[in-house]
Amino acid sequence: MGETAQLNHTEKKAFLVNSSSLKDVRIFCRDVFEKLHIEQDLKDELVLAIAEAAQNIVKHAFKNNANANELMVVQISCENKKLEIAFYDRGTPVDPKKVKHREIDNVKPGGLGTFFIQEIMDAVEFRDGNKPWINHLVLTKQL
Amino acid sequence: MTYKVEEIENKRIVHLDGEIDMDVADKSRSTILPLIEAGHEVQLNLSKVTYMDSSGISVLIESKKLSEEKKTKFELIEVSKPVEKVLAMARKFL
Repeated sequence: MGETAQLNHTEKKAFLVNSSSLKDVRIFCRDVFEKLHIEQDLKDELVLAIAEAAQNIVKHAFKNNANANELMVVQISCENKKLEIAFYDRGTPVDPKKVKHREIDNVKPGGLGTFFIQEIMDAVEFRDGNKPWINHLVLTKQL
Repeated sequence: MTYKVEEIENKRIVHLDGEIDMDVADKSRSTILPLIEAGHEVQLNLSKVTYMDSSGISVLIESKKLSEEKKTKFELIEVSKPVEKVLAMARKFL
Protein backbone atom coordinates (compact mmCIF):
# COMPACT_ATOMS: atom_id res chain seq x y z
CA MET A 1 0.00 0.00 0.00
CA GLY A 2 1.24 3.48 -0.84
CA GLU A 3 0.00 6.67 0.84
CA THR A 4 -3.47 5.27 1.47
CA ALA A 5 -3.38 5.63 5.19
CA GLN A 6 -2.70 9.35 4.95
CA LEU A 7 -6.00 10.05 3.21
CA ASN A 8 -9.25 10.76 4.98
CA HIS A 9 -12.01 10.30 2.49
CA THR A 10 -15.72 9.39 2.35
CA GLU A 11 -17.93 8.62 -0.60
CA LYS A 12 -21.33 7.04 -0.91
CA LYS A 13 -23.57 5.99 -3.74
CA ALA A 14 -27.03 4.51 -4.12
CA PHE A 15 -27.75 1.53 -6.34
CA LEU A 16 -30.91 -0.20 -7.43
CA VAL A 17 -31.34 -3.48 -5.59
CA ASN A 18 -30.85 -6.02 -8.35
CA SER A 19 -28.10 -8.25 -9.64
CA SER A 20 -27.37 -5.95 -12.57
CA SER A 21 -26.20 -3.31 -10.09
CA LEU A 22 -23.39 -5.48 -8.75
CA LYS A 23 -21.11 -4.49 -11.59
CA ASP A 24 -21.79 -0.81 -10.82
CA VAL A 25 -21.02 -1.43 -7.14
CA ARG A 26 -17.65 -2.88 -8.15
CA ILE A 27 -16.92 0.06 -10.46
CA PHE A 28 -17.73 2.52 -7.65
CA CYS A 29 -15.50 0.68 -5.18
CA ARG A 30 -12.58 0.42 -7.59
CA ASP A 31 -12.86 4.12 -8.28
CA VAL A 32 -12.80 5.03 -4.57
CA PHE A 33 -9.93 2.63 -3.82
CA GLU A 34 -8.02 4.13 -6.72
CA LYS A 35 -8.33 7.53 -5.06
CA LEU A 36 -7.14 6.00 -1.81
CA HIS A 37 -4.12 4.48 -3.59
CA ILE A 38 -4.86 1.04 -2.26
CA GLU A 39 -2.58 -1.54 -3.84
CA GLN A 40 -4.02 -3.96 -6.38
CA ASP A 41 -4.17 -7.19 -4.36
CA LEU A 42 -5.89 -5.58 -1.41
CA LYS A 43 -8.17 -3.64 -3.74
CA ASP A 44 -9.29 -6.88 -5.42
CA GLU A 45 -10.05 -8.45 -2.04
CA LEU A 46 -11.98 -5.44 -0.78
CA VAL A 47 -14.00 -5.22 -3.98
CA LEU A 48 -14.87 -8.90 -3.62
CA ALA A 49 -15.97 -8.45 0.01
CA ILE A 50 -18.13 -5.44 -0.86
CA ALA A 51 -19.66 -7.11 -3.89
CA GLU A 52 -20.48 -10.21 -1.82
CA ALA A 53 -22.18 -8.06 0.83
CA ALA A 54 -24.19 -6.26 -1.85
CA GLN A 55 -25.07 -9.61 -3.38
CA ASN A 56 -26.35 -10.79 0.00
CA ILE A 57 -28.67 -7.77 0.13
CA VAL A 58 -30.08 -8.64 -3.30
CA LYS A 59 -30.35 -12.35 -2.55
CA HIS A 60 -31.34 -12.45 1.09
CA ALA A 61 -32.67 -9.11 2.30
CA PHE A 62 -34.85 -8.87 -0.79
CA LYS A 63 -34.95 -12.54 -1.84
CA ASN A 64 -34.21 -11.49 -5.43
CA ASN A 65 -37.55 -9.71 -5.43
CA ALA A 66 -36.98 -6.03 -4.74
CA ASN A 67 -39.35 -3.33 -5.84
CA ALA A 68 -38.05 -1.89 -9.10
CA ASN A 69 -37.12 1.39 -7.41
CA GLU A 70 -35.68 -0.03 -4.20
CA LEU A 71 -32.26 1.31 -3.34
CA MET A 72 -29.26 0.19 -1.36
CA VAL A 73 -26.52 2.60 -0.36
CA VAL A 74 -22.83 1.81 -0.13
CA GLN A 75 -20.61 4.22 1.79
CA ILE A 76 -16.83 3.91 1.89
CA SER A 77 -14.92 5.91 4.51
CA CYS A 78 -11.24 5.97 5.30
CA GLU A 79 -10.10 7.76 8.41
CA ASN A 80 -6.89 7.37 10.38
CA LYS A 81 -5.93 4.23 8.45
CA LYS A 82 -9.25 2.59 9.18
CA LEU A 83 -11.45 1.63 6.27
CA GLU A 84 -15.17 1.42 6.99
CA ILE A 85 -17.71 0.25 4.44
CA ALA A 86 -21.36 0.72 5.29
CA PHE A 87 -24.39 -0.75 3.56
CA TYR A 88 -27.95 0.50 4.03
CA ASP A 89 -31.05 -1.23 2.74
CA ARG A 90 -34.76 -1.52 3.45
CA GLY A 91 -35.13 -5.26 2.99
CA THR A 92 -36.18 -7.95 5.45
CA PRO A 93 -34.51 -7.29 8.82
CA VAL A 94 -31.37 -9.39 9.10
CA ASP A 95 -30.86 -11.52 12.20
CA PRO A 96 -27.08 -11.34 12.70
CA LYS A 97 -27.12 -14.68 14.54
CA LYS A 98 -28.31 -16.37 11.36
CA VAL A 99 -25.61 -14.86 9.16
CA LYS A 100 -22.99 -17.54 8.84
CA HIS A 101 -21.35 -19.60 6.17
CA ARG A 102 -22.56 -23.08 5.37
CA GLU A 103 -20.77 -26.41 5.43
CA ILE A 104 -19.10 -27.94 2.40
CA ASP A 105 -21.99 -30.22 1.43
CA ASN A 106 -24.27 -27.22 1.16
CA VAL A 107 -22.15 -24.61 -0.54
CA LYS A 108 -24.22 -21.81 -1.99
CA PRO A 109 -23.22 -18.33 -3.05
CA GLY A 110 -24.45 -16.64 0.13
CA GLY A 111 -22.58 -19.05 2.37
CA LEU A 112 -19.32 -18.85 0.51
CA GLY A 113 -19.77 -15.12 0.06
CA THR A 114 -20.12 -14.60 3.79
CA PHE A 115 -16.98 -16.66 4.28
CA PHE A 116 -15.12 -14.40 1.83
CA ILE A 117 -16.30 -11.29 3.66
CA GLN A 118 -15.14 -12.67 7.00
CA GLU A 119 -11.79 -13.73 5.55
CA ILE A 120 -11.07 -10.35 4.00
CA MET A 121 -12.40 -7.90 6.58
CA ASP A 122 -11.36 -7.40 10.20
CA ALA A 123 -14.90 -7.00 11.46
CA VAL A 124 -18.46 -7.49 10.24
CA GLU A 125 -21.17 -5.81 12.28
CA PHE A 126 -24.88 -5.19 11.94
CA ARG A 127 -25.90 -1.91 13.51
CA ASP A 128 -29.34 -0.44 14.05
CA GLY A 129 -30.73 0.83 10.78
CA ASN A 130 -31.89 4.39 11.35
CA LYS A 131 -34.98 5.36 9.37
CA PRO A 132 -35.61 5.09 6.50
CA TRP A 133 -33.17 2.21 6.51
CA ILE A 134 -33.83 -1.20 8.06
CA ASN A 135 -30.47 -2.94 7.74
CA HIS A 136 -27.13 -1.29 8.35
CA LEU A 137 -24.12 -3.53 7.80
CA VAL A 138 -20.63 -2.23 8.52
CA LEU A 139 -17.41 -3.88 7.37
CA THR A 140 -14.12 -2.58 8.73
CA LYS A 141 -10.46 -3.13 8.00
CA GLN A 142 -7.35 -1.53 9.37
CA LEU A 143 -5.08 -0.47 6.53
CA MET B 1 -19.42 -12.34 -19.78
CA THR B 2 -18.98 -14.02 -23.13
CA TYR B 3 -18.10 -17.60 -23.94
CA LYS B 4 -16.91 -19.89 -26.69
CA VAL B 5 -17.13 -23.68 -26.85
CA GLU B 6 -14.57 -25.77 -28.75
CA GLU B 7 -15.47 -29.31 -29.73
CA ILE B 8 -12.77 -31.96 -29.93
CA GLU B 9 -14.30 -35.44 -30.22
CA ASN B 10 -16.11 -35.99 -26.91
CA LYS B 11 -14.28 -33.13 -25.25
CA ARG B 12 -15.78 -29.65 -24.90
CA ILE B 13 -13.44 -26.79 -24.05
CA VAL B 14 -15.40 -23.87 -22.65
CA HIS B 15 -13.67 -20.47 -22.75
CA LEU B 16 -15.24 -17.87 -20.50
CA ASP B 17 -14.38 -14.21 -20.78
CA GLY B 18 -15.03 -11.14 -18.59
CA GLU B 19 -16.57 -10.90 -15.13
CA ILE B 20 -18.54 -13.74 -13.56
CA ASP B 21 -20.89 -12.63 -10.82
CA MET B 22 -24.41 -13.39 -9.66
CA ASP B 23 -25.82 -11.54 -12.64
CA VAL B 24 -24.24 -13.88 -15.19
CA ALA B 25 -23.76 -17.05 -13.13
CA ASP B 26 -26.90 -18.58 -14.62
CA LYS B 27 -25.57 -17.95 -18.11
CA SER B 28 -22.32 -19.75 -17.33
CA ARG B 29 -24.25 -22.52 -15.55
CA SER B 30 -26.52 -23.04 -18.55
CA THR B 31 -23.48 -23.12 -20.82
CA ILE B 32 -21.51 -25.72 -18.86
CA LEU B 33 -23.99 -28.04 -17.13
CA PRO B 34 -25.82 -29.27 -20.27
CA LEU B 35 -22.47 -30.30 -21.76
CA ILE B 36 -21.70 -32.41 -18.68
CA GLU B 37 -25.27 -33.69 -18.58
CA ALA B 38 -24.78 -34.91 -22.16
CA GLY B 39 -21.75 -36.92 -21.02
CA HIS B 40 -19.03 -34.72 -22.49
CA GLU B 41 -15.66 -34.28 -20.88
CA VAL B 42 -15.52 -30.55 -20.11
CA GLN B 43 -12.43 -28.42 -19.79
CA LEU B 44 -12.88 -24.88 -18.57
CA ASN B 45 -10.53 -22.11 -19.64
CA LEU B 46 -10.76 -19.12 -17.28
CA SER B 47 -7.62 -17.34 -18.46
CA LYS B 48 -9.65 -14.33 -19.63
CA VAL B 49 -11.93 -14.05 -16.62
CA THR B 50 -11.13 -10.78 -14.86
CA TYR B 51 -13.38 -11.21 -11.82
CA MET B 52 -15.18 -14.11 -10.16
CA ASP B 53 -17.22 -14.13 -6.98
CA SER B 54 -18.90 -16.84 -4.92
CA SER B 55 -21.61 -17.28 -7.56
CA GLY B 56 -18.95 -18.29 -10.08
CA ILE B 57 -17.29 -20.63 -7.60
CA SER B 58 -20.66 -22.27 -7.01
CA VAL B 59 -20.98 -22.95 -10.73
CA LEU B 60 -17.59 -24.70 -10.64
CA ILE B 61 -18.66 -26.80 -7.64
CA GLU B 62 -21.96 -27.73 -9.28
CA SER B 63 -20.12 -28.66 -12.48
CA LYS B 64 -17.66 -30.86 -10.59
CA LYS B 65 -20.43 -32.61 -8.68
CA LEU B 66 -22.46 -33.24 -11.83
CA SER B 67 -19.41 -34.62 -13.63
CA GLU B 68 -18.91 -37.10 -10.79
CA GLU B 69 -22.55 -38.14 -11.00
CA LYS B 70 -22.27 -38.55 -14.76
CA LYS B 71 -18.89 -40.27 -14.43
CA THR B 72 -17.24 -37.87 -16.82
CA LYS B 73 -14.45 -35.32 -16.40
CA PHE B 74 -14.61 -31.67 -15.49
CA GLU B 75 -11.40 -29.73 -15.09
CA LEU B 76 -9.95 -26.25 -15.13
CA ILE B 77 -7.18 -25.95 -17.69
CA GLU B 78 -6.23 -22.28 -17.41
CA VAL B 79 -7.00 -19.80 -14.68
CA SER B 80 -6.37 -16.06 -14.55
CA LYS B 81 -4.69 -14.49 -11.53
CA PRO B 82 -7.90 -12.93 -10.16
CA VAL B 83 -9.69 -16.28 -10.38
CA GLU B 84 -6.75 -18.12 -8.80
CA LYS B 85 -6.88 -15.76 -5.83
CA VAL B 86 -10.58 -16.39 -5.29
CA LEU B 87 -10.10 -20.14 -5.71
CA ALA B 88 -7.32 -20.07 -3.12
CA MET B 89 -9.65 -18.37 -0.66
CA ALA B 90 -12.48 -20.77 -1.48
CA ARG B 91 -10.20 -23.76 -0.85
CA LYS B 92 -9.91 -22.69 2.79
CA PHE B 93 -13.66 -22.96 2.98
CA LEU B 94 -13.89 -26.21 1.05
